[in-house]
Amino acid sequence: MDLSFTPEEQKFREDIRAWVKENLPQEISHKVHNALELTRDDLQSWAKILGKKGWLGYGWPKEFGGPGWTAIERHLFEEETALAGAPRIVPFGPVMVAPVIQAFGTPEQHKRFLPGIASGEVWWSQGYSEPGSGSDLASLKTKAERQGDKYIVNGQKTWTTLGQYGDWMFNLVRTSSEGKPQTGISFLLLDMKSPGVTVRPIKLLDGSVEVNEVWFDNVEVPAENLIGEENKGWTYAKHLLSHERTNIADVNRAKRELERLKRIAKTEGLWDDTRFRDEIAKLEVDVVALEMMVLRVLSAAASGKNSLDVAGLLKIKGSEIQQRYTELMMLAGGAYSLPLIREAMHAGWQGDFPGGHVGLAPLASNYFNMRKTTIYGGSNEVQRNIVAQTVLG
Amino acid sequence: MDFDFSDDQEQLRDAVRKWVDKGYDFERRRGIEAAGGFSREAWDELSELGLGGLYISEDDGGLGMGPVAGMVVMEELGRGIVLEPFAQTLIAGGVLSGYAGADVKDAWLPRIAGGQALVVLAHHERKARYRTDVCEATATKAGDGWTVSGTKGVVPAGDQADAYLVPATVDGKIALFLVERGADGVAARGYGTQDGGRAAEVVFDKAAAALVTLDGLTALEHAVDIGIAAICAEAVGVMDKTLAVTVEYMNTRKQFGVTIATFQALRHRLADMKMQLELARSMSYYASLKLNAPTAERRQAVARAKYQLGVSMRFVGQNAVQLHGGIGVTDEYIVSHYFKRLTQMEMSFGDTLHHLGEVSARMEETAGVFA
Repeated sequence: MDLSFTPEEQKFREDIRAWVKENLPQEISHKVHNALELTRDDLQSWAKILGKKGWLGYGWPKEFGGPGWTAIERHLFEEETALAGAPRIVPFGPVMVAPVIQAFGTPEQHKRFLPGIASGEVWWSQGYSEPGSGSDLASLKTKAERQGDKYIVNGQKTWTTLGQYGDWMFNLVRTSSEGKPQTGISFLLLDMKSPGVTVRPIKLLDGSVEVNEVWFDNVEVPAENLIGEENKGWTYAKHLLSHERTNIADVNRAKRELERLKRIAKTEGLWDDTRFRDEIAKLEVDVVALEMMVLRVLSAAASGKNSLDVAGLLKIKGSEIQQRYTELMMLAGGAYSLPLIREAMHAGWQGDFPGGHVGLAPLASNYFNMRKTTIYGGSNEVQRNIVAQTVLG
Repeated sequence: MDFDFSDDQEQLRDAVRKWVDKGYDFERRRGIEAAGGFSREAWDELSELGLGGLYISEDDGGLGMGPVAGMVVMEELGRGIVLEPFAQTLIAGGVLSGYAGADVKDAWLPRIAGGQALVVLAHHERKARYRTDVCEATATKAGDGWTVSGTKGVVPAGDQADAYLVPATVDGKIALFLVERGADGVAARGYGTQDGGRAAEVVFDKAAAALVTLDGLTALEHAVDIGIAAICAEAVGVMDKTLAVTVEYMNTRKQFGVTIATFQALRHRLADMKMQLELARSMSYYASLKLNAPTAERRQAVARAKYQLGVSMRFVGQNAVQLHGGIGVTDEYIVSHYFKRLTQMEMSFGDTLHHLGEVSARMEETAGVFA
């Protein structure tokens, strides 16, 4: 056992740190460090900077133009970018659909789709959830009927994150109603500019617009956009889930936000308040324990020994931590977290925030927004079912 | 970054596990508890495995192994809820090796390594609670040696041990001494403890003492930290077994015509127990891997670990009893014994609130495994 990185890994970390320092625009990291609103341009310009360096698909193997990093190197990359205040990479293209295209797509599909994902030029969205299919995803109803060399798609997806910016969308669609629900699902890539596609943003409780409803009305999709075989889509989707094992814990962002919480507590005069400070201390232990758990998974992946089936635990703990730090930040702001002044959540606002500290403006909204984390990606209750199943055998 | 165990460590684990499985079953433990909570015979069997010398260098008759080896042994002893306080031997070996002069080392380390001498930490005082820097016992220079006066409580196997490590003040500053139980002026009043083990109230009245170090606070803090890492590992072993018997019970016990493992309310509670166990295991690794770090880093790490372990131990213990229903609160069934051991460990070397305070006091701007 050894709780340290090799000299090569240390060097790797330092190289990443230096590069990020050089290349991450300060106006973007300022927004991230202060939880100000990120625009589409912010997200995409960082994606393109990474893309130019060949790091947007940072989990890709070399054969597809990725850096071919180990699990530990990927972790170090995630850590250095998060701590420096980089936005999270919008995962739908480079992290989610690309590995599926790589594993199950044809050489033509590789050539057609991967370059746009790698460069950050093409914005991808995810079409999984439906109004009637949340945790029970396999019950999905959006139908794709084969007609000659194309599919005709009808139905509705929802909770499509940042779908308002989407160029392309990967979808789970029903191509058969025979057998178990899982066996009639296919994995289809769809151009969101196709006639019959309607995107309607959903305003969330904090006033933000980050998810959408997407309707398909007789949308024609060329059959060549099917990934792999018809009715095998569920298998491909599960492959996709296996690609975000430690990423889902988001421990590196939690470390950055814990630092921010401490700064806010100091500014608000709570650092020496035992009751409040102890709550931060509990969160600090949570974050360290989560990081240790992530490191255990990375080590197991590297050595192939002591494999750890704790993805469900990482999701539960990681999401609870995200909720907790936003909650404590809001509480730290006290009554001055309550004014809802949307412009104050944008960088450069010159207005007069009540109480004089504009840093408090986004805290309550962030808290409300983060309630999603224990719901999405398989709700934490579904995760507990999975954990219990594993433990009970 | 490597969390695999070496072949040596795996062999050590196998040896201890074999002894626990074959030599220390629940019936034997029950017998030891009834006979007072400590068995010198069982202690000798442990010593024959060569465990006494884990933290003692080969020059001093030990094995010179590191904290991970200690962790492996403690996990396995935890699985058997072994009553004999082996953590104390790790403490004595580590502290005397690190802080004592040659004469004390020569006299005691080979005997600790061989198991002939059981040396335990006698540091609790009524008014100190879990603080290491509060000490009313005093020491006085007497000729070539020293004498120690004061009262120490809840000393593990305190009326069975051969000697004690005793903090006492010299000119208001804490020093650490070694006092033999057989010395004049030592009176140990033994009693059983809640977990079935044994402890004693030990009164020192001008008892002859050997000086370990005048920088007693540093040594005592190190002793406590070795103890915390040991207890964390032991707790992981106990919780592993606690979860296993709970799973077995849920898969067997039927109510309303089905096994209780089918009830979602109970399944979710079990999932939460698994969460607490894995957080605890992660932090037990963390404590042991930081045990040789510079003092401030080590202290911060063990405080974080003991806080997590305390939360985990209480949650897993209480809920294991709850999931067992009525049989969980009987003496007959083993789960209540796991629960009591976990509770006692939560209250050893500083309880959960104490360590929350430690973590809180030590917080810095950044935090993480490497910060």
